[in-house]
Amino acid sequence: MLTAQIGATTALTLHSLCAAGLAAGHWLAQSFYSSSLITDPTRTLRFLTVCEAPIVIVLFSWLRRDHDRCTFIKSLGRGLIGLPIGALFNAFGAIVLGAPVGLKYWPATIYWSMLMSLFTFVPAACVFGASKLDWQHILSYSNSFYRLSNVVDYMISVPAHGAILGAWLGAWPMPLDWERPWQEWPICVTYGAIAGHLIGMLLSPVLIYLHQRHIRTKVE
Amino acid sequence: MRGKKRLTDRWAPTPKVMGVPWLVVLLGLHCAGIYLFTRGFLLTRTELSASSLPSDLHLSPCSSSSSDDPDPAPHHLHPSRPGWTRPTVDRILILIVDALRFDFVAPSTFFQEKKPWMDRLSLLQHLASTQPNSSRIFKAIADPPTTSLQRLKALTTGGLPTFIDVGNSFGAPAIKEDNWLHQLVKNGRRVVMMGDDTWTQLFPEHFNESYPYPSFNVKDLDTVDNGVVQHLEPWLHREDWDVLIGHFLGVDHAGHIYGVDSLPMIQKLEQINAIIQNVTDVMKSQKHLENTMLIVMGDHAQTLNGDHGGGTSEEVETCLFAWMPRSLPSSISSIFDQSTCSLDLNGGNICTSTMQQLDFAVSISALLGIPFPFGSIGRVNPELYALSPGSWDPQWHLTAFCEDSRSDLETWKHNYAHVLCINSWQVKRYIDSYSATSVMGFPTDDLRHITDLYNKAQSSWSGSKNSPCMPENGTINGFSNFLLSFAALARSAWTEFDLKLMGVGLGIIIISIICHILVFVRVHSQSNVYGNKTEKSSDHLQISVAFFLVAVRAVSFLSNSYILAEGRVANFLLASTAIASTRSSLVYGKFKKHDLVFLILIIFIRFGIEMGMTKQAVTNPFLKYDSGSDFDSKWLPSLFQGHDFATLFSEVSPMIFLFLLAFVSYKIITCIVDASGIKWIVTIGAMLSYALIVTFWLSERSFAPRMVYGIGFGLLVLNFVIRSTGILERGDALQRLRNLALVMVAAWIPTILILLGKQGPFAVLVCVFAGWSIISSKNKGLLDDCKMDPISVMQWSLLAICLFYQTGHWCTFDGLRYGAAFIGFDEFKIVRQAILLFIDTFGISHILPIFSLPFLVVLPASSSSKKRDKTVIFLNLTQVYLLYGLITAITTTLTILCVAIQRRHLMVWGLFAPKYVFDAIGLLLTDVLICISALFYC
Repeated sequence: MLTAQIGATTALTLHSLCAAGLAAGHWLAQSFYSSSLITDPTRTLRFLTVCEAPIVIVLFSWLRRDHDRCTFIKSLGRGLIGLPIGALFNAFGAIVLGAPVGLKYWPATIYWSMLMSLFTFVPAACVFGASKLDWQHILSYSNSFYRLSNVVDYMISVPAHGAILGAWLGAWPMPLDWERPWQEWPICVTYGAIAGHLIGMLLSPVLIYLHQRHIRTKVE
Repeated sequence: MRGKKRLTDRWAPTPKVMGVPWLVVLLGLHCAGIYLFTRGFLLTRTELSASSLPSDLHLSPCSSSSSDDPDPAPHHLHPSRPGWTRPTVDRILILIVDALRFDFVAPSTFFQEKKPWMDRLSLLQHLASTQPNSSRIFKAIADPPTTSLQRLKALTTGGLPTFIDVGNSFGAPAIKEDNWLHQLVKNGRRVVMMGDDTWTQLFPEHFNESYPYPSFNVKDLDTVDNGVVQHLEPWLHREDWDVLIGHFLGVDHAGHIYGVDSLPMIQKLEQINAIIQNVTDVMKSQKHLENTMLIVMGDHAQTLNGDHGGGTSEEVETCLFAWMPRSLPSSISSIFDQSTCSLDLNGGNICTSTMQQLDFAVSISALLGIPFPFGSIGRVNPELYALSPGSWDPQWHLTAFCEDSRSDLETWKHNYAHVLCINSWQVKRYIDSYSATSVMGFPTDDLRHITDLYNKAQSSWSGSKNSPCMPENGTINGFSNFLLSFAALARSAWTEFDLKLMGVGLGIIIISIICHILVFVRVHSQSNVYGNKTEKSSDHLQISVAFFLVAVRAVSFLSNSYILAEGRVANFLLASTAIASTRSSLVYGKFKKHDLVFLILIIFIRFGIEMGMTKQAVTNPFLKYDSGSDFDSKWLPSLFQGHDFATLFSEVSPMIFLFLLAFVSYKIITCIVDASGIKWIVTIGAMLSYALIVTFWLSERSFAPRMVYGIGFGLLVLNFVIRSTGILERGDALQRLRNLALVMVAAWIPTILILLGKQGPFAVLVCVFAGWSIISSKNKGLLDDCKMDPISVMQWSLLAICLFYQTGHWCTFDGLRYGAAFIGFDEFKIVRQAILLFIDTFGISHILPIFSLPFLVVLPASSSSKKRDKTVIFLNLTQVYLLYGLITAITTTLTILCVAIQRRHLMVWGLFAPKYVFDAIGLLLTDVLICISALFYC
């Protein structure tokens, strides 16, 4: 089975591909429309989403569980369906936490939640589909580091939690009266989410390495 | 007493005895700490009791010639009256319009946009544009705090206001410091006052005649103003007065109740305009008023909401308008500042000047020729002084040979320089005596600089005296420079904090927190001994998460932005815990509906808080209080505003929510209470109260609220009887605790509901459902469900804070909902109205959450109540109360620390100090309520 062979280095490579997607989106927005997150958050978020979505969906569909019963195409479909559903969850969470809801914020909120969905929901949707047990398993990850049995679980869980924590922390400067443009919704939250996601992607290969060494020592 | 003793035997398990006395000790520590800190923090400058005497002038360097040659040419004004300067006007008529904004007076062309409330005082604009040589509009800058009492005190003494007086606002003490009213009386002038009764409280025996009217009833727009109108005109025709003060309150009250952008405000302004029109007509026609100066001024301004108290430019920029019926020399225009001129609506040219209200007291004294108040630190305002005819008379110490050669302007400058000399000497004398007597004087460097300036100006003055025909510009500049520098120094350095007392107070509070933690740990370990099979690690994790949240919230108080956004911060943290708890129920694979309900409730709370915050910024029709008539429910999106549907919805929806609440209450009562006697009494009481509330909304009859208060009180008494005699109940300790807590909450809810107005039912519903969600989501996956869960307690406290902001409160004095104090009562009685206001302010955020905390312990235990040991329940209850108190104490401590750090911050009086006062009161109230609950429930 393919996933069984994945090591820390492969995970790192795959993660860097995802990061490259983000960088490409940012670069495209900057060079073609000379817009950055601060000057035009909606457009930049759109570019980020558009560049990131195919990479994430393809990569994690390739890593799908149950290779025998689930085809690559089916997995792609799961990812595409998962994107808006995850966006809905993320948008709901953001609104509960106090994201502004005025009409002028809608486009930015929609693209932001799409991006968050790509960070959090879509990978799991591609890999697990609707398997309830797997979802529960990945959520309970934080209760114990070594409980996760699979390498892919780390690749999904650590960056996703990183993105959510980062976004949560990114909201903190919003009420301050510095009157900087980046304090607007969803700019600093996006920065936080991306930073948290990148840290998570760096951390997951480390954890995978530790996990595999742990198993090896156990076996020996 | 006997019953109580019996109870102690019956209901007093050993561990409780250990917890409750500690709660009282903590209350005592908090009281002591807050008292000391308040003494140190809100203590300001030392008031000197000395007052100026007419004979003091001989001590000044300015009067050397006048002492040799007293009153060379007897003057037509007041030849026999003693004073420091010669009077330059006969009389002054001061009309104070409370909360007069600058843009009420200045023409709308001065501002970017014409608003409905502008240009309503057209008479003042007309006078200013047609008689530029005898009238002037000033932008008068007040020093915060901008509350009437502080302003009046500062306006009469000429000193800077102190914050502590805000606390004394309800019982205004007589002014002890020297002031111009005191000087007037001592020098035989006659003062008449009409209007706001604050004046008679401040100056109980200064007025020859006074017509005070009560000022606290903000719903009453007309009594005070009509009273002034009634007495003003007869007095204008009389001659036996020197200073007449008329204080109108209608504009202030209209702002408080309806906001600036409202019809009542415009009507009030037009009424004031008509009154002033009448006054000026009389002044022009009466011979004895020919030499009378009319001053129309505000004591402070107001925001668009009608709030004031803080230091924002909207609140401090008030107006002063001065007018003389007599015309003055045309060279006056060269004294006036011409920099801010603009065309008015009729094409005339209007100029305005800026002055400090600090200068008012000494300017009035100079105009009237009385000794300047001892503690005044203002400067005689040149423009105001030039408006008096007497200041243009060539009279003072003028050597004969150059009298003819002098122009009007030079004469005036000479006179003004003389007045400034006395003014500077008086301020210097005050500085010296203040430095000598005050514990903490001014910084020595600054003092030396100020003294240098004074000496320089003084030597320039003596130089010019030797060559009397020289222009006085240098002298005037020198004195002005000295006076302005000192005023700046005083402003920056005068909020004199007693750091030692503040430190001791803070220290005591920190010690109390350490004690609190120790007691909590003791009780916690005790409960672990009693409790069975607790999972130690998850226990620690939960406590650390709870404390992390407390720490985040507490540290956020270090920034003013987070204090402003406190409601949103609390909501953010509450939402975070709710999301985390949803996630953990997903981990256990059982998504419960209460998680979703909680999340949705948080969205409602969030919009409520945002609505409340917009009220802080602009007039918001949703929250304006008007005993219920046009008081929209706040969850209504603003886009529907103004449609018939919206009106209907806002009228009907509170009723619907109230019926829903009645239904929910009935369900809860039948579900929780087991004794049928209590059940029936409480149900009937609650339903009757709800019916009365509906009656009140529909008919506005005042008997209904009073009966609601009566029912609430009756239920409280019943609860006490149940607790002390044990009648009407059966069942074990757990059930008993449930009954007591339910009756307690049921007794408070209707009163709080009616005080909150039409938003009440929704807020209470949110509170009930959120409480239910917190209880149901508590301790998922753990068997021992009677155990105290720190995260639930944290959520409970965050919810309480959210509810405070959701119901339209915020931590400033103008955020108090004064209208609530008059529900059921029309006339003002201080104790009664204060209690109602208190219940409105703290009801839903302190009283209700703390009295309902036992539910957190007793409700989840319903399934396995048989096994529950009484001791364990009371231990858990004590723990919950200790933890709740600890959370409040920690956040308050950080507020105190932050206030201490930010004591030189620009917004200290506008934001930090009110926040401190609210938090300190909140902490003490929490402690008291916790003590009561612990004694009552345990």
